[in-house]
Amino acid sequence: MTVEVRPLGDKCNIKCRYCYQEGIRTAGNVPTRYDLDAIMATLDRLAEPFSLFGGEIMMTRRPDLERLMQLGFDRHGGVGMQTNGTLIEERDIELFRKYRVRIGISIDGPGPLNDARWAGSLPATRRATARIEAAIETLCREGMPPNVIVTLNRINASPDRLAVLCDWIGFLGSLGVRKLRLHLLEQDETEGGEGLALTAQENLVALRRLRQLEQELSSVEFDIFAEMAAMLRGDDARTSCVFHACDPYATRAVVGVESDGRLGNCGRTNKDGVTHLRASREAFERQLSLYRTPQSDDGCQDCRFFLACKGNCPGTAIGGDWRKRSIDCPVWFGLFEDIETELQANGETVISRSERRADLEAKMIAAWSIGDNPTLHSLLQPAEAT
Amino acid sequence: MTSTWLTWPRPPLGATPREPVVAKAAAQRISFSGPQARALWQPRLDRLRDVAIAIELEMVRREHIPATVLWTGYDGIEALTERARAIGLEAKPVKASLGYAADWTQEAWIDEPKRLLDYAFLIGAAALDVAMADPAAEDVVKTAIRFGYPACCAESWANHLRRGGSDSLASLLAREDNAAMPAHTALGVLGLGPVRHAPCSAGCVATRDRSRAFLDLGRQLGFIEEMSWLEEIACWTVNASLVNGIAEITTAAFRCTWLSDEGPSQPRPAAPAPRPEKRKAAAITAAGSADILAELGIGFESAGFASPFAMRSRFSAVVWEQTAALRRATTAVHVGCGDGLLLQLLAQTKPKLKLYGTEEDTALAEAARQRLGASSPVLAGASIEALAALSRLVPGGIDIAFVDPERLGDRDALVAISAIARSIIVIGTDRSLHRFRDMDNLAATMGLALLPGRAARVSATLSPAMDRLH
Ligand code: SF4
Ligand code: SF4
Repeated sequence: MTVEVRPLGDKCNIKCRYCYQEGIRTAGNVPTRYDLDAIMATLDRLAEPFSLFGGEIMMTRRPDLERLMQLGFDRHGGVGMQTNGTLIEERDIELFRKYRVRIGISIDGPGPLNDARWAGSLPATRRATARIEAAIETLCREGMPPNVIVTLNRINASPDRLAVLCDWIGFLGSLGVRKLRLHLLEQDETEGGEGLALTAQENLVALRRLRQLEQELSSVEFDIFAEMAAMLRGDDARTSCVFHACDPYATRAVVGVESDGRLGNCGRTNKDGVTHLRASREAFERQLSLYRTPQSDDGCQDCRFFLACKGNCPGTAIGGDWRKRSIDCPVWFGLFEDIETELQANGETVISRSERRADLEAKMIAAWSIGDNPTLHSLLQPAEAT
Repeated sequence: MTSTWLTWPRPPLGATPREPVVAKAAAQRISFSGPQARALWQPRLDRLRDVAIAIELEMVRREHIPATVLWTGYDGIEALTERARAIGLEAKPVKASLGYAADWTQEAWIDEPKRLLDYAFLIGAAALDVAMADPAAEDVVKTAIRFGYPACCAESWANHLRRGGSDSLASLLAREDNAAMPAHTALGVLGLGPVRHAPCSAGCVATRDRSRAFLDLGRQLGFIEEMSWLEEIACWTVNASLVNGIAEITTAAFRCTWLSDEGPSQPRPAAPAPRPEKRKAAAITAAGSADILAELGIGFESAGFASPFAMRSRFSAVVWEQTAALRRATTAVHVGCGDGLLLQLLAQTKPKLKLYGTEEDTALAEAARQRLGASSPVLAGASIEALAALSRLVPGGIDIAFVDPERLGDRDALVAISAIARSIIVIGTDRSLHRFRDMDNLAATMGLALLPGRAARVSATLSPAMDRLH
């Protein structure tokens, strides 16, 4: 479970053109104050490592931010933080070091390649980008290289810009950045015709090129590819939420601790500007339905990667309706196929081609039907033992 | 949360053993739209569910309907039968169905499997015939009418059951425009009343009459406040949809969902959720990779960097490190400004700063002019001449000069800079940092005095005691 602490909800200092939280802000649903004691009490109760999240977490008052960092350090030996990096200042570097803050910075590329992360005007956008680039270099020089989160879009990964993006990632590797997380642009949020989203084919081309790049650059790792390979091996202990049968009513993999300490859902499924609270029970209607619904009706029936992919993130579902499979299905399918081929060529067993697939699927469906969500790993264990 | 559930809808029921699933699942899968909505409506919904059971039992007691079906967990069985007996009714078990495992411990599974089930009880006057709720009974329409269905609804529900259906909202959604769904019809699934049967259509007048009777009986029984909540709910706008067998109802206060047995192969498009108007950002201007590389920065090799990315990143870091110094400055010069990238980053950070550049390479000087525009003069020629021209242009001197000491060549240039700049900031390039490791070493090796404690990671301020340079 990932616990995301969000004292200021979706409040942010920039306005990325594609941000999935934009609907919430437009609807005016951002908290104006927060109750730090309530947040800390909830974190105490959860007793799980947590990440500081937003909106933009660095808009939080520094003394309050420091208390949260200290809590993470005291209880869990450190704390994660995801930020757009524009508000990091010199004095923060010491805080990060003192409380072992593991920083994730979102940036889509250098200078003009980051223009989709709009800050109101072009000069303001470029100024914000320069601050992010400065923060990454500074953190690397301080021996705290951040993880970098890149969202692929037309401005940074269209066919004629992909090479530049790859060279920049090579540069990040030379600076000391080790891990990158790749996101696909949420297509439904850009319906205003801004044209930021790549087509599924372009996304696939970009991801295939980046996978190749990962093999060329020994020092840089994109976690998505390793996770997909792990899922195909049936090793889902450490893979991220998108592969774990997410229930948009109670996103178990991601729990938000909101401004008043209450538990919230991951915001990626909020398409109507409302941050719904968690339902009292987690359930798997989406996966059960996708499994039995033909692909022509936006389901996943007969897809051999279903156990690994499960229709992917409901926040990316076709038409913004969580009941349908991910709009990025062609991308996932294509990548799963690539990785499957390679794993098989290396003599590895993959669940998508395993003769046990039908049996595993039946077990998973049976478990979901009664509200349980076992790991693939646990389903594979007993049979392997016999 | 309530441990006893009214079945939804009233018998006759579908053949599949899913009856408790819909009502219980929908209630458990309520997700409120915010803390205030939850604080107000969670207790109300719990209360309404209890009150609906009381009204339903009273209807049985008064023989308006022959019986009703209630579901309970294993631990609720005794209380339920006792409750029936207390009002002169009998409770007969009719079936059991698997509940949900999410919060069961493994020990519970093994030790007491009976607790995993939900149990259905038919509650009615003594000498109950349990077959009365069976959909396979001979005359389903008649049974439905006995259970309080208006004739039109009895007919349509019987047809739905004959086709193998079991979910009343699903049957309605498969036929009707969800936008027109009255709140009481959509939310009947939660077992709150006042709609207790499966309506034949969203606008069924007879259904409205039965609802009114339910509300009247509630008021008669003293549930005045609760019935006013139901009246309030009647005015809500609800959005109900069934997509690939998943039903979802959305109201302003909450949304809820359940998996229906119906509809997987005949998806019905849901009405798109109302979406707040998205603010449009400026249109994208997509330059190709050659233009992008030029924009990122040219002349990086001569400036001492391994790539345009390194140059941009470093200059960004210099600006970031010197934030405090820049706050006080009104003028700045970059000596050997290349294509003007650092000056551009300075201008973006502090637009009021008056900026100057000097550059020997005419092509780069021209690129800098292009990048910066006319308001930031870029002086061409060797450093010394350019600096002499600059001192004529700005006789009052310049607040900050940015320099790469390696590129200056000789100390005369540094002396010339110190003559016009009140503060000199040296920049560490890839080349110099590779050679000297850090700014302190760089300064020491080149015989430069830094302001005490002011050596940063990639830039440093020279001490104003520049006399040594003269
Ligand atoms: S909605 Fe998507 S991003 Fe959020 S927890 Fe679920 S799978 Fe993860
Ligand atoms: S690859 Fe596509 S069809 Fe297959 S499980 Fe994923 S989303 Fe469904």
